[in-house]
Amino acid sequence: MKVLQVVEQAYRTLVEEQDDTILWLTQSMKGAGADLSVLLAGHCAYYAVQKTRQPALKIGGWQQQEPADIVRDIDQLLGKGVDVYVVREDLEERGLGDLPVHAGIRVIEKNKIHELYEQVDQVWQW
Amino acid sequence: MENKILTFAFMDPPFENERTVTFFRILDAALDRSVNVRVFAYEGAAALAFSKQQQHGNSVHGRDLQQEQHPLTKDWIAALQKKAQERQLQFDWVNCGLCVDERGVMESIPGCGRGSPADLWRYASEAFNTLAIGTR
Amino acid sequence: MSRYLFIQSQDPFIEARTSSQFDVATQLAKAGKTVSVLLVQNGVTAARKGARTPQFDALAGAGIKVFADSFALQQRDITAGDLKPSIAAGDVGMVVDAMLAGDKVIWN
Repeated sequence: MKVLQVVEQAYRTLVEEQDDTILWLTQSMKGAGADLSVLLAGHCAYYAVQKTRQPALKIGGWQQQEPADIVRDIDQLLGKGVDVYVVREDLEERGLGDLPVHAGIRVIEKNKIHELYEQVDQVWQW
Repeated sequence: MENKILTFAFMDPPFENERTVTFFRILDAALDRSVNVRVFAYEGAAALAFSKQQQHGNSVHGRDLQQEQHPLTKDWIAALQKKAQERQLQFDWVNCGLCVDERGVMESIPGCGRGSPADLWRYASEAFNTLAIGTR
Repeated sequence: MSRYLFIQSQDPFIEARTSSQFDVATQLAKAGKTVSVLLVQNGVTAARKGARTPQFDALAGAGIKVFADSFALQQRDITAGDLKPSIAAGDVGMVVDAMLAGDKVIWN
């Protein structure tokens, strides 16, 4: 069974979980043998061009030690054989169209998303 | 004919938004259709089965605790468990263990287990179909 | 042939993302897939007669069947007579029916 994980909501959970919760879930399920691909849509287009680690949060005297690292997580997903896609128009409408996309991430046109949906057995939209 | 298994993955905690209500209505409809239900409760949804949820009264409306009968998701889960049992259907509920830990909601009502993303994949692989409901 | 059911909880008044969501549904319909949409929660606000939602209204023109959850309609005092002509009342049982039919069921 092939599943496409569609992630649109970016930067939620990134601080408290020190991960994007769905990219983390995807890595974890991949380790359990899942056949997954990821579509970065909406604000998750930012992940495709992310260059830096997340800033470490400080609240009162509490200082974060291990902020999330989206670049590392994308590398790990790709390294595990997870196909990762980003929507071109979602990059462009956010002014990200001219930025280099993370190596290995495939940019697809919005009008091709339906083809991606057809290539998998299920679409899980988070 | 064997009843089909459907898996549902959910992320929202009790209260806060309408998705939680819609989710439970879907589970109820699944049992009505003789479906064996499997739920993977992820992130905030790990609190849905927390056994220490408590009702309260409503002084704004002049109702005491008994009168208010405040809805609690743990009671919804228990009601679905009972309905499944009466219909000889499965109703399996697994909370993501790490999600439980970080929220401190370790005490779940009976019949709810602790698991990991591997369980979501197992549930999905063994089910006829799966629906994931993300949070916003 | 692939069939799709989109459970549409997001509405075009608040969520700009619905534009892309409606685009995907339309693309699939134009590619010959059977596509249905079940409006739930505030998603049903687009279903009321007079609601100004041109892109949503175009879904029916693309051959997409649109239903509105009766519970959500009742919450908002929207009666059957208040619905746009292209929209039928439905319920969340349709989600289960679609899953049992092997449809790809996607939550928006």
